[in-house]
Amino acid sequence: MTAPGSWSAGAGYRAARYAPRRGTVGRLIARDSPLRRMDWILALAALALSGIGALLVWSATRSRTEINHGDPQYFLIRHLMNLAIGLGLCVGVVLLGHHRLRTIAPVVYLLAVLGVLAVLSPLGSTVNGAHSWIVLGGGFSVQPSEFCKIAIILGMATLMSARVDAGERAFPDDRSIVQALALAAVPIGIVLLMPDLGSTMVMVVIILGLLLASGAPKRWLFGLIVVGGAGAFVVVQLHVLKQYQIARFAAFADPALDPSGVGYNTAQARIAIGSGGLLGKGLFHGTQTTGQFVPEQQTDFVFTVAGEELGFLGAGLIILLLGVVLWRACRIARQANDLYSTIVAAGVVAWFGFQGFENIGMTLGIMPVAGIPLPFVSYGGSSMFAIWVGIGLLQSVKMQRSMTAG
Amino acid sequence: MVVALGTVLTLFVGRLVQLQFVDSSTLAAAATVSLYRTDPLPAPRGSITDADGRVLATTVDAYDITADPYMFTPGQAHVDDAPAQAAQLLSPIVGVPVATLAKALTSTGRSDRYALLARQQSPQTWSQITALEAKLTKSAWSGHCLTENNLALKAGDAGRVDEACANVLNGVFHAKHAKRVYPDGTLAANVIGFVNSDGVGRGGLEQQYDSLLKGKDGKVTYAQSGGREVPTAGQRETAAVPGSSLRLTLDRDIQWDAQQAITDEVKAAGAQRGYVIVQDVTNGKVLAMAASPGFDPNDLADADPADLGNAALQDAYEPGSVSKLMTMAAVLQQGVATPLTHVTVPGTLPRADRVFHDDVAHGTEQLTLNGVLAQSSNIGTMLAAEHLGSTQKQADQVLYDYLTKFGIGQPTGLGFPGETQGILAQPGKWSGSQQYTIPFGQGLSVNALQTTSVYSTIANGGVRIEPSLVAGTTGPDGRYVPAAAPKQTRVVSAQTAKTLAQMLQSVVASQEGTGVMAQIPGYLVAGKTGTANRVDPATGRYSGYTSSFIGFAPADKPRVTVSCVIQDPVNGHFGGELCGPVFKQVMEFALKTLQVAPTGAAAANLPVNW
Repeated sequence: MTAPGSWSAGAGYRAARYAPRRGTVGRLIARDSPLRRMDWILALAALALSGIGALLVWSATRSRTEINHGDPQYFLIRHLMNLAIGLGLCVGVVLLGHHRLRTIAPVVYLLAVLGVLAVLSPLGSTVNGAHSWIVLGGGFSVQPSEFCKIAIILGMATLMSARVDAGERAFPDDRSIVQALALAAVPIGIVLLMPDLGSTMVMVVIILGLLLASGAPKRWLFGLIVVGGAGAFVVVQLHVLKQYQIARFAAFADPALDPSGVGYNTAQARIAIGSGGLLGKGLFHGTQTTGQFVPEQQTDFVFTVAGEELGFLGAGLIILLLGVVLWRACRIARQANDLYSTIVAAGVVAWFGFQGFENIGMTLGIMPVAGIPLPFVSYGGSSMFAIWVGIGLLQSVKMQRSMTAG
Repeated sequence: MVVALGTVLTLFVGRLVQLQFVDSSTLAAAATVSLYRTDPLPAPRGSITDADGRVLATTVDAYDITADPYMFTPGQAHVDDAPAQAAQLLSPIVGVPVATLAKALTSTGRSDRYALLARQQSPQTWSQITALEAKLTKSAWSGHCLTENNLALKAGDAGRVDEACANVLNGVFHAKHAKRVYPDGTLAANVIGFVNSDGVGRGGLEQQYDSLLKGKDGKVTYAQSGGREVPTAGQRETAAVPGSSLRLTLDRDIQWDAQQAITDEVKAAGAQRGYVIVQDVTNGKVLAMAASPGFDPNDLADADPADLGNAALQDAYEPGSVSKLMTMAAVLQQGVATPLTHVTVPGTLPRADRVFHDDVAHGTEQLTLNGVLAQSSNIGTMLAAEHLGSTQKQADQVLYDYLTKFGIGQPTGLGFPGETQGILAQPGKWSGSQQYTIPFGQGLSVNALQTTSVYSTIANGGVRIEPSLVAGTTGPDGRYVPAAAPKQTRVVSAQTAKTLAQMLQSVVASQEGTGVMAQIPGYLVAGKTGTANRVDPATGRYSGYTSSFIGFAPADKPRVTVSCVIQDPVNGHFGGELCGPVFKQVMEFALKTLQVAPTGAAAANLPVNW
């Protein structure tokens, strides 16, 4: 039997030697091909979540004639179109590579800030109390705050990792952290003014994740939490929040407060999920879903469709798949070669993790209600695109590590 | 990191287990309760107008103000005296005493979830209540009160809430309950009728045309949760089809005058009741049909149930002398006599088992046939009627045929609820005396419109036009559909009718006539008095009188028939005395309203004696 080491060296040698002559198929199945180096578990879990999402969105909107324009497949088709575009963006990010994105990070950041500013201008429209949309016409609209999340991740990662990756320091210095926080503060402030409380919360959590992963001194982390708490207090005192947003927290504190008013959504969500039992009522057979008792069921409350129609098994599967995505993302963050990659991956972890658990948590009544979509599953183009760009960043980090390591 | 992730995952799955397994039975039960609900969409009831479209009955929006007493308990309202506070606020708005409201709002138990505070209030009243409630809600949701409320809710201690933060009107609701309104009150109430508290026609035309007026209710189906509509779920609606509107033949002004006149006369005569009918002779349309005493359909609670009908169509009474016109018509049409035929009228006449008298005792008189009618001689009429056949049996048959053709004993064709068609026995069944009394209007019964129609038939040149009360309908599409043309039948020839009209002039015009009080300056009036023995419906025996006068004008070119009937008068009883002035007032007004010019023709002045 040949020694493993020599076998490995021999294979490496052959690969190097014949590399220039390989055809397309050969390149794709070669050991160092992108398809082999990517994280398949992550990709399949994300795809599975998107597929389940398509079914749930379909079920939730089939009978809502007042929004589906009389076409039961209206939302299904659009959800799949969004998914296709998202996959395209993902492949684009992988081909570009997250390192090359670092060089255009200022442009991405500038575009994102202009986008959220445009929302505050007369171009923006209000949907469900949040002034966070730009209607493009033809049934399309974008939510620039979704892309802000990516801009903050890329921008802060670039600033905080620059001196560390250059070998000048072991961890980010105070100056670069201050710069990075100032950079993030601008879009967050604008989003808070919309007021899009959900997105603001997600961005704050992303910053916490980035700081944690960057190895920055712990005082920054605690400092930020203290500042965040004080900020929340000031925000409430200055009446930046709308009455309904305060009421949501009140309803969270006491679910029975007003079951036909502010507590309506959570009460109906719990009824839908609870009535599902172990196996659920079957896709398209949920009485609460067909009866349209849960508002926003195709977007923020899509998890209730799973709970009712697919039961514990279906809802549990979604939580499990989300756990798999986060597990793989954590692995990628830890195994990254440089701080920049680690911070980018960690930002995506914080982003997906918070959105996923906040969304599911609010439908289960263990988190307050905030307008945050469930990654991959909820209907919504902007969210779907941003999420798959995030997957692209993760895969890029994974593949560059494999390349240098291999 | 992985540990943290695992912990969060476990937490979420645990919650899912709790919801889907531990709590699942209660939540599944809640799911089945949240289902669809169908509510009716009441169709607006059509209005009723007079011939010129002036509204006599219409429907307006109104609300019943209701409440859920449970929401006024200290635990729900967060104050101890919510019923008293709410009653204090609502009383001036709905006009119900504070004590009554407070009692209704005080919960008698957990299942006491409904209280009716005030019926059929105007939309303004409800908007006043909502404005007040909104003001309370605003203060209750102010930042300060919100914290107070939450603290109290958590501690489960009602007493801790600041009173200023409680919204005591939270449990007040409203239910749409359309209200039927009769703007003119008692005017034509006997004809129009009324609706019950559910808005269903229960009298008069409201009852007769209920299915037409009420339209077709629609319905709305929506998803509901806890009794409230799910706003996002959409709804299915079948629109209501509004009821059609009814246009009557009545003229509001003539109706008003007729009602005034008969009300005054019934009061003056101390009579039980009276009615006036005004009919257009050219088309049979009833221009007015008034009855006294009447009622106000807006306020049925205070009305005497005995007055809720329409006596002009529902009373069957013996017409008396006004019926002699039909006997005369038969005599003339059969060629048995002319107006100038000499009749020797003895003071008494023994027939069958009785001896007949005239109303005013007299010796043997030498009257023309015209004089018999003018002086309303029973004996003279009996003698004339005997000539209708070679035997009494044949004479009875001929008279019966004429009476029937004039519409006696027949339905009027109106189909009015509770209408009587009177009683006219088959001639073979006429008793010994009945065959002598029927010619002068006793021993048979009629309703007032039947006798009115007899005079209109003569006025219309001998052609009877079936009377009508409804001119047409306006459907929900706004199109007016006239009523079907009334049936027309010839009863006597135009010549006979003309002669009879001249004879009827003598009743009013000649000094010896019984109807001199019905004279109208400038117009020729044709008419006939009636003073009948009245059968008391309670005992079935004759007791008191039915006084009447029926006539038309202008006599030579008739346009309007007016009839007046007064039942059981105490002060006076002659038809000419009691009903003559009523006839005069109403006829004068009707002629002016219809702009009928005096013809200027000379009176016929047929001789009375020979």
